[in-house]
Amino acid sequence: MNLIDIRNLSIELKTASKPIFAVDRVNLTMKEGEVRGLVGESGSGKSLLAQAIVGVLDEKWRVDADRFHWRGNDLMRLSPAERKAIITKDVAMIFQEPMACLDPTTSIGEQLEEAVDAEQLTGFFWQKRQQRKQAAINLLHKVGIKQHEVCVKSFPHQLTDALCQRVMIAMALARRPMLLIADEPTAAMESTNQGQIFRLLASLNQLKNMSILLISHDLENVTHWTNTITVMYSGQFVEAGTTEQIFNQPYHPYTRALVDSSPRANRMIPNKSRLMTLPGSIPILQHLPIGCRLGPRCPRAQQKCVHAPKIKNFHSHQVSCHFPLKDSYS
Amino acid sequence: MLIFTLRRLSLFIFTILLLTLLSFSLSFLFPGDQLINLTGQLNASPEQLAILANDYNQQFGLLSQYFSYLNHLFHGEMGYSMNSQLPIATEVLNRLPATIELTCVALLVAMFFGIPIGFCAAIYHRKLPDNLILTVAMLGYSIPVFWLGILAILVFSIQLGWLPSAGQISLLFEIEPVTGLQLIDILLSDNEYKWQAFQDATRHLILPVIVVALAPATIFMRLARTAMLEVLDTHYIKAAKAKGLTFSQIIYRHAMRNAFIKVIRDVGLQFANLITIAMVTEVIFSWPGIGRWLIESIYQRDYTAIQGGLIVLSTFIFIVHIIIDFVYAALNPLAREPHHGAR
Repeated sequence: MNLIDIRNLSIELKTASKPIFAVDRVNLTMKEGEVRGLVGESGSGKSLLAQAIVGVLDEKWRVDADRFHWRGNDLMRLSPAERKAIITKDVAMIFQEPMACLDPTTSIGEQLEEAVDAEQLTGFFWQKRQQRKQAAINLLHKVGIKQHEVCVKSFPHQLTDALCQRVMIAMALARRPMLLIADEPTAAMESTNQGQIFRLLASLNQLKNMSILLISHDLENVTHWTNTITVMYSGQFVEAGTTEQIFNQPYHPYTRALVDSSPRANRMIPNKSRLMTLPGSIPILQHLPIGCRLGPRCPRAQQKCVHAPKIKNFHSHQVSCHFPLKDSYS
Repeated sequence: MLIFTLRRLSLFIFTILLLTLLSFSLSFLFPGDQLINLTGQLNASPEQLAILANDYNQQFGLLSQYFSYLNHLFHGEMGYSMNSQLPIATEVLNRLPATIELTCVALLVAMFFGIPIGFCAAIYHRKLPDNLILTVAMLGYSIPVFWLGILAILVFSIQLGWLPSAGQISLLFEIEPVTGLQLIDILLSDNEYKWQAFQDATRHLILPVIVVALAPATIFMRLARTAMLEVLDTHYIKAAKAKGLTFSQIIYRHAMRNAFIKVIRDVGLQFANLITIAMVTEVIFSWPGIGRWLIESIYQRDYTAIQGGLIVLSTFIFIVHIIIDFVYAALNPLAREPHHGAR
């Protein structure tokens, strides 16, 4: 059974003139225990999509979807309150800039304690307080912080970025979620710390069978840690498939360009040669092209591309392009 | 925390030194003889003046004169009032407590009402309550104090007769001054009509406090509203939402404290403004405070009193500033310790 199944999810920005589709009919499916990467340039709507799933977008955005199933439940039919109850119980999210995501005036311990689910506690309120404290310490141990006494008493500004991110993960684990959405969890972190955070996430996935949606702009880094990858460009769905499919045989010209743009050890690149890049840059929200939004930058674009392509499925490798690169392999 | 305290103390000392320099130079700038301006002894004989000149190091240079002035200040000698020929120190000590009482109560009232209402406006951002509160705040801020004071007397004491219009307490009650702060003195006294006196003093306090507190309260409303809006827009509020906390939990546990910290910084700044308003209000309500006395001294060209009152009032404002700084540090863990490189 699919853990989450989203079909044609759109996110509109309400403006004075006409609404802008910041995310335009994106599909996303995840199975239990899967680690899926969500890749795209900055501004491609990955974070928006994640925030729409968790339901923390503010009023200027409007979310709409044809299908939004959570473990077989149709969430679109439920009221916002019921939806929030289900989502907050089973889905947790960690953000980029972990230090900004912790309340600067409250100690780590207090913030952890309030994240602990009240249903896990038993007994009278004084017993519950003790249990909450213990639960917070256990959570810190789970994310590999051994000096819990120091950590519980300190404030966010006294910890490093990587430690803050661990605390954020600990808070996310408090409700024992089935899906953890990690929105660029290692942005602006050193590579040693990056590795630690990714290893922690991978071990959580393996030990607790927790699914992870890993959002990143760095295709290469994500490939080490994910089973499947979804690629987005400028708010549109581009391609989805297993990591090997996406990385070795991309069908979409955009994915192809992404893969080619990162240097790899096993590929021969002549000295001082330019890396492959697409001309131009990602369009701004006010001037989105019609049809396939990659159109103006795409090397294979033809007249047909002013109409949005339908998603084609090749053995669970989905691609949204009129002229997929399917024939160039084989 | 020790370094924080030392920083505030050094700031206090240097500001007070600058203030004394200003007050000392005022004695030269006011018309008339500098020595008489400084001491207030209008009717002194030439022999007495010679003694005074010696006392204030008049035969030496300016620097030495300034230090002798400082020396006198430290011993509590601020000269004599030109009008009453009483020592300025006694005059000030008699009147300052009434002002402290009025301004502190007004500040507390302004904070108590202004800040929560501002938070309310931010929570209902761009809805009816927000617009309503903003309108009221704008109105309250633009009403002139003296007009409001006179109007309040006209309506509540003359037409309706609910509250007394002048003074600090009815003349019927005799209260032994211990601390000088009337409400505390009443509670300390063993008068059998203690509670009636307390009631009467409170009734006298209501109108002036409302008049003084209105403008600062509206400023606090707007400050609290912006602070709350800023806080509600931060990442940690979004993260708290994703954590599954309810809206009221987010407001009470995270948003209020952070917004309050932002407001409390500006409360100190507004206090100087509040003192100015209180001075005008004291005149209208015949409140026996230092503000009314200072304004009267200005009318009567009592230069010694002006210098003394200036120093005392500014010191009072500064002390309140420092207290508020400490409250800020107590609430905000970021302010308590020095940052590396920053500040």
